Amino acid sequence: MYQSFRQSMAWLHTWFGLVLGFVLMACFFFGSLSVFDREIDRWAIPSSRFEPQPMPRFDTILGPAMRALKPNPQDYARTQERVIGALPAPETLVLSSFWAYTTHRDPVLVMGGEFAVPNQPKDASDEHQHVHGFTTIDPRTGAELPDSQLKIGSRFFYPMHYSLHLRWMNLGYWIVGLAALVMLAALVSGVVMHRKIFRELFTFRPHKRTQRSALDLHNLTGVVALPFHFFFAFTGLVIFAGIYLPVGDTLLKPLHDADEIREAERTGLPHDAAGVAAPLASVDAMVAEAKRIWAERDMAGEVGSLRIEHLDDANGYVSVYRAGSDRVALVGEGIHFKAGTGELLRADPPRTAVSSINEFLTGLHLQHFEHWLLRWLYFVGGIAGCVCIATGFIFFVEKRKRQHAARGESGARCVDALAVTTVTGMLIATVTMLVANRLLPVDLPQRGDWEQYVFWGAWLLAAAHAFWRTAPVLQARIAPAWAEQSVAVALLAVLAVILNWTSTGDHLLRTIGNGYWPVAGVDLTLLGGAVLAVVAANRLRQRAAQESLKLSDVEAGATTSVANGRVGEIAHV
Amino acid sequence: MAAGCPSSMIVLMSSSSHIASRVAASLLGGYAFSWGFTVFGITLLVWAGMSYHEAQTLVFMLAFLVFLVVFCWAFAAARVARVWGVLAGGGAAMTAAAWWLTRTLQ
Amino acid sequence: MSDALLLFLALLCNVAGLAWLALAMDVHWRQVRGDQATPPRVVPVLRGLGAVALMVSLGLCLRVDHASMAALVWVMALAAAALVVAFTLSWRPRLLVPLAVWVRAG
Repeated sequence: MYQSFRQSMAWLHTWFGLVLGFVLMACFFFGSLSVFDREIDRWAIPSSRFEPQPMPRFDTILGPAMRALKPNPQDYARTQERVIGALPAPETLVLSSFWAYTTHRDPVLVMGGEFAVPNQPKDASDEHQHVHGFTTIDPRTGAELPDSQLKIGSRFFYPMHYSLHLRWMNLGYWIVGLAALVMLAALVSGVVMHRKIFRELFTFRPHKRTQRSALDLHNLTGVVALPFHFFFAFTGLVIFAGIYLPVGDTLLKPLHDADEIREAERTGLPHDAAGVAAPLASVDAMVAEAKRIWAERDMAGEVGSLRIEHLDDANGYVSVYRAGSDRVALVGEGIHFKAGTGELLRADPPRTAVSSINEFLTGLHLQHFEHWLLRWLYFVGGIAGCVCIATGFIFFVEKRKRQHAARGESGARCVDALAVTTVTGMLIATVTMLVANRLLPVDLPQRGDWEQYVFWGAWLLAAAHAFWRTAPVLQARIAPAWAEQSVAVALLAVLAVILNWTSTGDHLLRTIGNGYWPVAGVDLTLLGGAVLAVVAANRLRQRAAQESLKLSDVEAGATTSVANGRVGEIAHV
Repeated sequence: MAAGCPSSMIVLMSSSSHIASRVAASLLGGYAFSWGFTVFGITLLVWAGMSYHEAQTLVFMLAFLVFLVVFCWAFAAARVARVWGVLAGGGAAMTAAAWWLTRTLQ
Repeated sequence: MSDALLLFLALLCNVAGLAWLALAMDVHWRQVRGDQATPPRVVPVLRGLGAVALMVSLGLCLRVDHASMAALVWVMALAAAALVVAFTLSWRPRLLVPLAVWVRAG
């Protein structure tokens, strides 16, 4: 589109980076928080602040909890819309499958299952006719825990980073997918634009003009974490490839379905129920056998996931999967048993080269492994991505604001307002949600919904403030919105830590003293963030003061034409 | 710096409709091309004896790299008509070939 | 030695290794030592030390974890170490003086 390759890549980098950067900011920030989703859950739900538990015994804990599962009312209503005729009453539905899932970071256990329904679907191609049920239990006692409290980390921040909570037509997934593609293109075009990748690898000049130091930081964070950024954007796309390229549901459906049937024949795991009732043998014995097989393969480990298909049917089988721990790849090493007898049906064979690569890539992103250093390095990498995007916005504004001011345009101001909204505004929304979590009464109905309203409301307010307090950009000055919102972030973060102390008694001395790092870590990160926000606010005020001094010099000592000349000179740097 | 070039550098990109066409070609054309690559790649591998699941896993990984390359190329190429031709035409041709090949595979 | 200690050493080696590579560049040598440029005879020594430190770090990572995991830890630690070195050079360059203490002021 331009004469040179470099120029066309620069155009792509600037404009796609700007537009999708606002989305990428949310993906990187909430993705970084998702590294510690379980720990944020503990902070947000004080009744779950106890040590992680292994998968409990089936015969005494899981089995009774499974039999107590009930159909989820919302899913019951949704299924009713999809089938012909009235569904049987919820309490008469029969459980046909079961799953339980835990990790080395989970004190509580999530489990669920599917209830079979006899009705025909309205759409003949709709193959999955059942009502889901799920719950969270205390694995030490089997007691059901109220699901009314929102797991802020794993059920709000985590889905936020890949779906933006826009569920309609999977719109959020598509926006994030486009943003991921643009991230990859921004990395490629950034490398093309950047002439001195190695010569300036360690270059950061904080005392130069804002435009220069912002670009230094943009290059620094972009280049040093380049492999991380590339692989996270890329593997994010691969994980949801089935949504972005739904070939198996459309053009290639015949191939896909034929393969599924062949697969069931090959593995010997029944695809359909037999329709003949059968009892369930001891699942604990099957788990013990699975652990023995893993140890034999030199992969001793705990159970991460347990599944039962065709429950109480003669074709029923139990699958036991290993928890991720010492490998990057998401390897389940599934061992499958006949439910009625406990006879070994199949042990998953070693993977092919293609699926090994795929499982390494997806495992790298989904991080089921047990490695705290790597978790923190991921967090640092994610925050480096946020800094890269944020400094990209600042560079964009700094480069243009004098020119726009001279021409009376408001483009730079709008971009600055959006940047404030997506950088500090997002932090305000996040921390306000944590504050609300500690302030709302525990027995408030729909408490989790209220926490989400507070999150979006705080973000909206921050956006309004950002658009109001960026007016000085019209005179080519630094917007006070940045410093003001930084102060707000600091105050809210400290408030969240104090409220955690007053509402639960878990102050830092106690959590650190007891070595309870999930809560101590969230508190310390909040306080660290507050310190950074205060430092940032002070630096911003200093810069604004210097800037206004310089601008008043220019106004006092020069005519408009000289000022315009200076503007032109700056614009061509 | 090269980002946001001053107007003197702009040679071929004169109108906003040209930019719109270029952006649409990069996204829609790029998607069509990646879709074609995916369905044709999978059917070709299945035809060569690979299992469907395995072929899909492999081609999905490659498809996003292909999308990345054609997306960048859409902005680097000299003429936008050529971009549309290659991406939309290529995508349609590969999809048609995949459709024909799946029929022979059954 | 405990895994935590080995990983901590691996991190330190990465920081030192990248700092040595940075010191081999004139502009950073000037930041740290105040001299004009890295003495030419020192450049290969600094580069050598840097490379060895990075390799030692990789070795330490491999001792602690499964190979695939260790490689990932090492790459991520490199990124973090590069940030540490860059920020040290901008704000507290004198902290890196001990890494070239054997070179007499030129």
